[in-house]
Amino acid sequence: MKLATIGVGNAGSKLIDRMLEFEQQTGRDLCRHVLVINTARTDLAKPKYVPKDRRVLIGDTHQKAKGHGVGGDGEVGAEVAKNDIDEIRRVFDDVEIHEVDAILVAAGLGGGTGSGAGPVVIDELQKMYDEPIYGLGVLPGEYEGGRPALNAARSLQSFVTKVDNFVAFDNDAWRSRGQTVEEGYEEMNRELATRIVTLLAAGEVDGSEVGENAMDSSDIMRTLDTGGVSSIGYASTDLKKSDGLLSKYKSKNKDEEVNSMDAAKIKGLVRRAVNSRLTIPCEVSSADRALIVFAGPSSMISRKGIESAREWLEKEADTVEVLAGDDPREDSETLAAVVLLSNVTDAPRIKEIQNQAVDAQNKIAELDAVREEEITSLITDDNNELDPIV
Amino acid sequence: MKLALLGVGNAGVRLVDELRGAEQRTQTPISDGNVLAFNTTPSTFAELEHIDESRQVLIGDTHPEVYQPEAVGEEGEIDKVDTESVDPREGVAGDPELGAAVAREDLPEIRRALDAVDDTEVDAAMIVAGLGGGTGCGVGSVLLEELVSIYEIPVYVLGVLPSADESDQRAWCAARAIRTFVPMADAVLGVDNEAWHTDESYNAVNKAVATRIISLFGAGEREGLPLSELRMDPNDINRTLDVGGVSTIGYAKTELSIEPDGWLQKLRGLFGGETTEPEPQTDATTIKKLVERAVDSKLTLPCDISTVDRVLLILSGPPRELSRKGFETGRSLLEDKTGTVEILAGDEPDTEATTVTATVLLSNVTGVPRIEQLQQRAVAYQTDAESTPAVTHEIDSNVEVDTEGAVEANEEADNGREADAESNPEAAETSDDSDAAVDEHGFRFTDKETVKPTELIDEAEPTTDEPPVDDSTDSSDAETPELSENEPTDDSDSTKPSEDADDSDADPNIKDPFAGGSATSDPSQ
Repeated sequence: MKLATIGVGNAGSKLIDRMLEFEQQTGRDLCRHVLVINTARTDLAKPKYVPKDRRVLIGDTHQKAKGHGVGGDGEVGAEVAKNDIDEIRRVFDDVEIHEVDAILVAAGLGGGTGSGAGPVVIDELQKMYDEPIYGLGVLPGEYEGGRPALNAARSLQSFVTKVDNFVAFDNDAWRSRGQTVEEGYEEMNRELATRIVTLLAAGEVDGSEVGENAMDSSDIMRTLDTGGVSSIGYASTDLKKSDGLLSKYKSKNKDEEVNSMDAAKIKGLVRRAVNSRLTIPCEVSSADRALIVFAGPSSMISRKGIESAREWLEKEADTVEVLAGDDPREDSETLAAVVLLSNVTDAPRIKEIQNQAVDAQNKIAELDAVREEEITSLITDDNNELDPIV
Repeated sequence: MKLALLGVGNAGVRLVDELRGAEQRTQTPISDGNVLAFNTTPSTFAELEHIDESRQVLIGDTHPEVYQPEAVGEEGEIDKVDTESVDPREGVAGDPELGAAVAREDLPEIRRALDAVDDTEVDAAMIVAGLGGGTGCGVGSVLLEELVSIYEIPVYVLGVLPSADESDQRAWCAARAIRTFVPMADAVLGVDNEAWHTDESYNAVNKAVATRIISLFGAGEREGLPLSELRMDPNDINRTLDVGGVSTIGYAKTELSIEPDGWLQKLRGLFGGETTEPEPQTDATTIKKLVERAVDSKLTLPCDISTVDRVLLILSGPPRELSRKGFETGRSLLEDKTGTVEILAGDEPDTEATTVTATVLLSNVTGVPRIEQLQQRAVAYQTDAESTPAVTHEIDSNVEVDTEGAVEANEEADNGREADAESNPEAAETSDDSDAAVDEHGFRFTDKETVKPTELIDEAEPTTDEPPVDDSTDSSDAETPELSENEPTDDSDSTKPSEDADDSDADPNIKDPFAGGSATSDPSQ
């Protein structure tokens, strides 16, 4: 697939940057157009792979933003993006849309810019282009608190109604002990970038050879055509000889043979992909359609293996709409299986976020209601005998 | 973020001087030289080390009622503040009305001085004043009024409250300053001398305050720091303070031991050897506890933290020490402790730091016992003063002639005027207690709409242009519409295509999506 990628806000921009990094490291060519949009000037300095002229600051003339972010407020994020919509449209003018199959908009839904400006950007894209627009959204973890949950719950509605498919990523599922703040976000972004690029780059003639069971862009787009929320599973196995400590550590199947991989192992890989951490944990059987991409040397991927994996997933996902194919990467030292579960309708985390959001919204409303009164009460003595000076 | 620092009065200019010193010490430029010191007496100017003479503005030196000493600061001890080192007759002698009058008269002078501050280069302006002083309170009020009318940026006040052993007059002045500043300023950050000076000198108080202000507003302003993952932008701070009211700052730090083999590492690095990243000395638990300590620490203004409206947390230190889990559980703990969900949290990575610090801004705290105490003292002082004509020169009001000079009569008259709203304070208290959310913190509402402030003092004040009550009521009313930003709209329910988005009962309660709701008129939505 050829993609135009747009990152909105801090999380979205970093995610796009990691996608570019992974793409370059693995010799893929997925992102034909790149753009990052932010309300904070400092955050625009962070990407390493996004060209300087593809970084757009919005809201620098907005009274509340001024290039210093929107204070985590999605309302302001949306307002700023609407005000600068001409600016955004102007940068899209450079995107030669006939060169791409789809547009991907990545954003963190807990922050103000991603949650607010993201949907506005998507609205504009929908007006300008016929190509499908996919959302890639990072949902805040429970520990990030009520305000991010509220942003996310509201923004999720906007995203899901506006995009052709929304790939969700749950921060909580990827939290691990011992990470620093820096590592935590780095690792998550890398994991997500690996999944999304491995999936969407399949079927792209970017120097890779066309396999006999090759996955085609149109297959992926058809699977995503359901709308709704999707989840991605991933597993990979190291193909290098397990003689070094490192490869022993990396590869779970130590006794794996190097030169062949039987059907059972292929199926095992897919099973691992589905049962390991999905980008958003969900009931697999609630998926509407599903798709498996195997990325690695074509010699490693047998047709029989693909078929048995497909059949297994058909049962697991309880749908007959399951496609499977390969994305030959002859130089690759790993064999990876990516599983796309499209339009999963049973994702508990989303409900949790919504509940947290409703609580947050009520608390905010309560505070709003008494705010002026309480301040007045604080600054005034009991009988209001003390006057202001001016 | 960048702040213009405007010190007013003895305490204010000293604190700004301290802040400037701290900026230089910590190499955290927050003011970028946008600094001014206003005073009605030159006494403290002589001791300033970090504020250039061109930035020192003397107000009211020609006013007949302003007393200027012959010789300045001869025996004054530099590390003591206000009443201790300065002749109490100096300047406006603690009279806020005189301070305000003097400032109004010298407004052209003040405006000229303000030209030296570039309000487009800073993210907010901050008036720094001792609220118990006649200059801090009086001149501060007029300056605040002026800044609010000319600046688009938020205007904050860093106000120092007098301690219990300072005079009743200063308590009265401070209580009125709070009454004046809070409705006008975008936020008032409080510092309580009572909580801080008992075991420490005033100088130490100033140092502690400077440390907190720099940690909070200076986050991310130091040159050469690595980019943070979750940077707290100026708008994050501004949004947190946006709710107005009184705010306070908590702070805690953990010292890291300097690696004993640090030099060896460096040496090895010089010879091309591999330098290993030092082992982290903190973990998730340490970081979580640090955040907890910050909010439980001695706040600049002690308060009931459950009455806070919005919170901002900054965790600063070497990136390897900032545990993500500790950071997130710390933030979550703040939500539990304060009961608010409006919490912004960010990191400030500083590779060279030898400490990990947590700084917590608690915005719009409404349970502040110290302010209540000051108000009680102030009312007692005012009532006393009213009964002593020698002290209160302004009492001969043309309205309440019949009560003049008699304390009891005055009070009766006050109550009489308020009778239509509330027959007595107790009644108001009980009815409010049943009201909402606030009662548990011992709050008493005074119904501002119906109870007019007594105007015993301002009535006859010639320099006040407008009736003071209307002024403050207007400014607080004007803010109300902005608070309805989260107005629910309801046309989203029909447009949800995915089950995930609408399978929750909770969903209809969540407000409209940000875009494509009522806010956009786009028919394609």
